[in-house]
Amino acid sequence: MSSSHPAAAYSRAPGREIELDVATQDCQIHMGPQHPATHGVMRVLLKADGEVLSGAQTHLGYLHRSAEKIGEMVDWLQYLPYTDRYDYLCAMNNNLGYSLGVEKLLGLEAPERAQYLRVILSELNRIASHLFAVGTYGLDLGAFTPLFTALRDREIVLDLFERICGARLTYSFIRPGGLWNDAPEGWLEDVAAFLDLFEKRWHEYWTLVVENRIFIERTADVGVLSAEQAIDWGCSGPMLRGSGVDWDLRRDQPYQVYDRLEFEVVKGSGYRGSVGDCFDRTFVRMFEMTESIRIVRQCLEQMEPGPVHNPEVKSVIRPAPGSAYCGIENPRGELGHYLVSDGSKIAVRVRVRAPSFCNLSVAEHLMPGSMLGDAAAIIGSVDIVVGETDR
Amino acid sequence: MKAAGHVSWGGGGQIEAAQRIAARAAEAGLPLQLHLPNLPPLAEEGEARRLARKPREENPEYEWRGDPYLQVMDPAVVCDLLRWLREQCGFVQLYDLSAVDPAADAPELWVVYGLLNLAEKVRLELRLGLNKEHLSVPSVVAVHQAADWHEREAAEMFGIVFEGHPDPRALLLPEDWDGFPLRKDYEFPDQYQGISCT
Amino acid sequence: MPGWLLTVWAAVVAMVVVFTFLTIMVMFSVWMERKVAGFIQHRVGPMRAGGFHGWAQSIADSIKLLFKEDLILIGADRKLFQIAPALVMATATAMFVVLPFAPGWQVADADLGVFLILALASVTTIGVIMAGWGSYNKWSVYGAMREAAQVASYEIPLALSLIPPILHYGTFSLATATEAQAGWGGMQWYVFSSAAPVAWLSFPLFFIAALAENKRAPFDLPEAESELVAGFHTEYTGIRFSFFFLEEYAAMFVMGAVGAALWFGGWNFPGIHLLEPGSALLQVLALFAFVAKAMALVFVMMWVRWTVPRLRIDQVMTLGYKYLTPLSMAVVLIAAFWEFGLHLIQD
Repeated sequence: MSSSHPAAAYSRAPGREIELDVATQDCQIHMGPQHPATHGVMRVLLKADGEVLSGAQTHLGYLHRSAEKIGEMVDWLQYLPYTDRYDYLCAMNNNLGYSLGVEKLLGLEAPERAQYLRVILSELNRIASHLFAVGTYGLDLGAFTPLFTALRDREIVLDLFERICGARLTYSFIRPGGLWNDAPEGWLEDVAAFLDLFEKRWHEYWTLVVENRIFIERTADVGVLSAEQAIDWGCSGPMLRGSGVDWDLRRDQPYQVYDRLEFEVVKGSGYRGSVGDCFDRTFVRMFEMTESIRIVRQCLEQMEPGPVHNPEVKSVIRPAPGSAYCGIENPRGELGHYLVSDGSKIAVRVRVRAPSFCNLSVAEHLMPGSMLGDAAAIIGSVDIVVGETDR
Repeated sequence: MKAAGHVSWGGGGQIEAAQRIAARAAEAGLPLQLHLPNLPPLAEEGEARRLARKPREENPEYEWRGDPYLQVMDPAVVCDLLRWLREQCGFVQLYDLSAVDPAADAPELWVVYGLLNLAEKVRLELRLGLNKEHLSVPSVVAVHQAADWHEREAAEMFGIVFEGHPDPRALLLPEDWDGFPLRKDYEFPDQYQGISCT
Repeated sequence: MPGWLLTVWAAVVAMVVVFTFLTIMVMFSVWMERKVAGFIQHRVGPMRAGGFHGWAQSIADSIKLLFKEDLILIGADRKLFQIAPALVMATATAMFVVLPFAPGWQVADADLGVFLILALASVTTIGVIMAGWGSYNKWSVYGAMREAAQVASYEIPLALSLIPPILHYGTFSLATATEAQAGWGGMQWYVFSSAAPVAWLSFPLFFIAALAENKRAPFDLPEAESELVAGFHTEYTGIRFSFFFLEEYAAMFVMGAVGAALWFGGWNFPGIHLLEPGSALLQVLALFAFVAKAMALVFVMMWVRWTVPRLRIDQVMTLGYKYLTPLSMAVVLIAAFWEFGLHLIQD
């Protein structure tokens, strides 16, 4: 790259000969911060030789809201609303991750009914989040309709959430010690009705988006991430499973009542291309939705009436000193909270290990060698939420 | 149907794993020291004892709750250590790397490495004390690529120098940001580039 | 009135009529596109402006566009930047000149009508390249380069796929070709005629190539919003932007109209032979039939756009050169033999 002759940069691509002594230079383009395919305010500096990318560099920080610093300045419970805001597409799961971390430091557990409800809520939110991911992925590839179709069904989930907690996006509903309240009357029946409806509609997405010939052409063999690479780069969630790694925290390090539930861990198999390509990641998301349906159904069956909040947890809590890491399986991967307490009512450190952050770090290494249009396909398949990468 | 989830959820076998690794490290002559939590669950602890808990300074038998961790006694060996853990003990993924500033007047910062063994399904937490006078630690990017962005973040937030990092630019903050925001002695700026922050 | 003045007068009238029709048609198409998109996406589309199903939405939009600030970047090539929308607009309008709307309702029955449309369609590309190059924006340049590559490749299959109907009717004139389809009570369309198999082979090729030529999804690479922001018209605002918009819908209508005129009988409709030739009723019904057929094809273009994702540039090129071009050549050969065979049978 630092060769003295400018044409040397052009000829470094193998099998290419420069016949004319023409000085050429790769084109540097900024994808973002305001760009439709970056899913938020993020910038990717692309280096392109015509339509072929020769380099990419991700620049973050446009949405940095100092969540970790805020965590050291407010009460343990006051921090809960901030967790909603890092991955705003699955706030229930974020609440759950933080609450579990605090519960671990406190040395207590939520009542059983609360645990079941937590699982139901986080799986419903997983469906909503994966729907949005598949929909926006269609948008990245130039198809508008999947997003609107996805929003139609996501809306039902959001309505369910609105009925149980009054909010549609930032819930703060799952909290240390249990839940804010029990599900209203008839809510569980409506969840079951939604599952029946969605199970039918799932095939609509499968045929409209995933089995679409052009979709397959655009995603198969694009952005291939090998299993070793995925592990080495700290990937998790569909990104890791898409590469064929059999790892799901819900099964392998079960929390709440997941150890009583039966479900499959979906992993990429190279169904339409090679293992670990963009198609496999979408494939994993699609089938995780059906597994979520299974999980919620089992929860609805097994649930029994009871309290939903542990009375040990008061409005001001002072966990014992110590540190705890709590990782849960978010729709995007492992959301970890590393909490450090010194016994006071304010945390010493709230470290958030965001799944998008680790998954995105590998994206810039998948891009070189692919086409400009693939940049959008790769970023979309990572399924980032910039609120989470920047926190 | 199995019993209801237990407090050591997710950490099922974590204490045993930490003990096993500590023993193997001692055999291999690696400077690791095991720390185990010694507080019972809240319900068993009792109100009187809970109120009698004392802070670290006043309590020589420091009681704490949470995850076990292995203290790395020598920062210089951290790369070798992680490589050993990766190759000999199967901790193939570095899921997290961050730092903690326990208090403004504490002499040390901690650098925390979170490692995951996918085959045995256990986590391991390594903690490294860094003197605030000399915040320098070797970069582990050569061992785990995942450390790349985590180290950049820790560097700008805590002022730790990760020696040998291939790309030590700021990640989330502007390049010209003053101070290290996650340090306890950080003072909030009044203005940034002439724009008032108050 | 001297002869030359009459010509000028006729030209002015024709210009006004064509432009008015084009504007109304584009406004209707935009409204229709939004309604179609809404229908496909479980939405309702515009509902407020004007009252009934937002019929005045496009009028409101055009007024908004007219009053928007006209921005030109400091680094932009002002001349190219300003000429480009005008050039694009002018060629789009000019294509309407040869469209046979109804018997006798045609501005100019050019002998080489089909040729003229193909030629003007490629001039549009030059306008787009000028726009992209003059915008002082790398994304726009990318859009322009993609347009150049894509349109140049798809002109070959587009032109070749037009040859079968031309061979069948032995004319380049759209009006003559339409008149030749008036038999069988107005139903002797090319797709039902003695050369029907060839028609059904060539029409899909024509339609795909026309989609690519018009930069419609799945070939909307020059303005691929998720990749190139908005491609060649990223930096355009207000009225200049609306010219590109107008051109897109006008070109869609023209391609739909060419498809309708050559394959689907143009203005002919069942029962046209029962009406007195030249009567007002026939003229109006013929106009309606022609526009309806063209709009039906435009609807299919919209339907495709709201259903499929976008191809990648190398896939577009592969499709154009490796599949469509050889296929259209084969279809031309088949058409030639077919017509020869028909000729032998008739003799």
